[in-house]
Amino acid sequence: MSAETLALVLVIVTALGFDFTNGFHDTGNAMATSIATGALRPTIAVALSAVLNLAGAFLSVAVALTVTNAVVHVQQSDGTPNPDLVSGGGRGLMMIVLAGLIGAIVWNLLTWLLGLPSSSSHALFGGLIGSTIASLGWSGVNWVGDGSKLDGVVGKVILPAVLSPVVAGLVAAVGTWLIYRLVVGVAARFTQNGFRWGQVGTASLVSLAHGTSDAQKTMGVITLALIASGHWHSTTSIPLWVKLVCALAIATGTYVGGWRVIRTLGKGLVEIESPQGMAAEASSAAVILASSHLGFALSTTHVATGSILGTGLGRPGAEVRWGVAGRMVVGWLLTLPAAAVVGALMWAIGHVCGTTGGPVADFVILLALATAMYLRSRRNAVGAHNVNDDWHGMPQVAPPEFVTGGVS
Amino acid sequence: MSGGAALVHDLRFTLEAVWKVLLASLVLGAGLPAIFALGIRSLAWGAGGEARASEGQPGHAPGNRAGRVIAGVLFAIVLYGVASGILFIIASGQGKDISFAHVVPTIHG
Repeated sequence: MSAETLALVLVIVTALGFDFTNGFHDTGNAMATSIATGALRPTIAVALSAVLNLAGAFLSVAVALTVTNAVVHVQQSDGTPNPDLVSGGGRGLMMIVLAGLIGAIVWNLLTWLLGLPSSSSHALFGGLIGSTIASLGWSGVNWVGDGSKLDGVVGKVILPAVLSPVVAGLVAAVGTWLIYRLVVGVAARFTQNGFRWGQVGTASLVSLAHGTSDAQKTMGVITLALIASGHWHSTTSIPLWVKLVCALAIATGTYVGGWRVIRTLGKGLVEIESPQGMAAEASSAAVILASSHLGFALSTTHVATGSILGTGLGRPGAEVRWGVAGRMVVGWLLTLPAAAVVGALMWAIGHVCGTTGGPVADFVILLALATAMYLRSRRNAVGAHNVNDDWHGMPQVAPPEFVTGGVS
Repeated sequence: MSGGAALVHDLRFTLEAVWKVLLASLVLGAGLPAIFALGIRSLAWGAGGEARASEGQPGHAPGNRAGRVIAGVLFAIVLYGVASGILFIIASGQGKDISFAHVVPTIHG
């Protein structure tokens, strides 16, 4: 296998790995509330969400080939890679994409380990920004766009991240308040059943929308790598097999279920009742669809978290755990820079190790980090069996002896 | 265009988009659930009996046909909203609805 082919294969495998973490990190966005209120059994909820993500991924025939253009300058506006990055089988582009993807995966796994919902698209953008800065310098980053449209790191990442949870929270709070006002005095038999149906329906909408929007990103990245290496030439369509494997990767990830994140969203942030669950998912679905209609790029995670928080504010007497919310906000602030640092480091390591050794070295580091975090998660595993247990604080992942370097 | 001017444009585009998103989301994301809640209330009214037990007429409230009819209409409105949402997801998935290149959505055939 030539060095170019090896790099391409590693990029594709890593991209699918990212897609998988994208799926399991975001299961909770749609299903945490239904699981917490008992509207759906945990295993049924993740299976339903997985099927809808799969369907959503296949629904998207639109080509998201220009996905990286929002934040970095490695592609031209028609989606083809920059000419100076494609020499030698697209080596320059491969390293940037591979390092960026690894930055995104590492951050996704770390936040999952900590039970923090964090945006997979921000992680991807962060990783790509870091590897691009390392490779091309600061000018390789599309900070604010050219002023003709909402674009760049500021327009596509930072502003939406600040505003979307607020909008979603407000809508969910209003919805929750209205619902509770409107069903005062109605027997629990009616409200329980009715709102459980409403909850499952709205959560399904969120899952479907997620599959449509998020699977596309990985499809775009893989197709970009195929174009850079000369294996694909169209900028208006993507290979069927790419669509197939991406859809399967995100659906498998969703089915595996990021239980630690589901638990935080469903039990940690707010104690949720069925009417609140429906209000939260309805708000999420409406905000996601309305903003994608208006070209306002936002993260499903930020919207879902804002909605759940809002539904806690809208129900009189509901407890919102602001400590948990604060940790999430810190996680969001760190997502982009943290993924960027890992992306930049990975690019540097890959650069030092050379054409063949670089991608391999990066990939081995990714495997080592992923394995370490997986093993660490087993020490206090969260799964379908204990996802709804009473909340006693965020998962402890760094006991004192771990921090001080002792062996446990 | 300079970075500073582009930044100002980003802010302006964002503000233009945000209030539209907020308005649409309030109607769809809070309005439809409220209609759904009204539907449940009508359903309970229609069923009578213990459904409204906590309204101070334990077990004696009569059933009401109108309640069930109103509930049906309200649920139909909600279903229509949800179906529109699914249609929108499908349409945008086919690349037929929106383009992310413009704040004012560009329709593609």
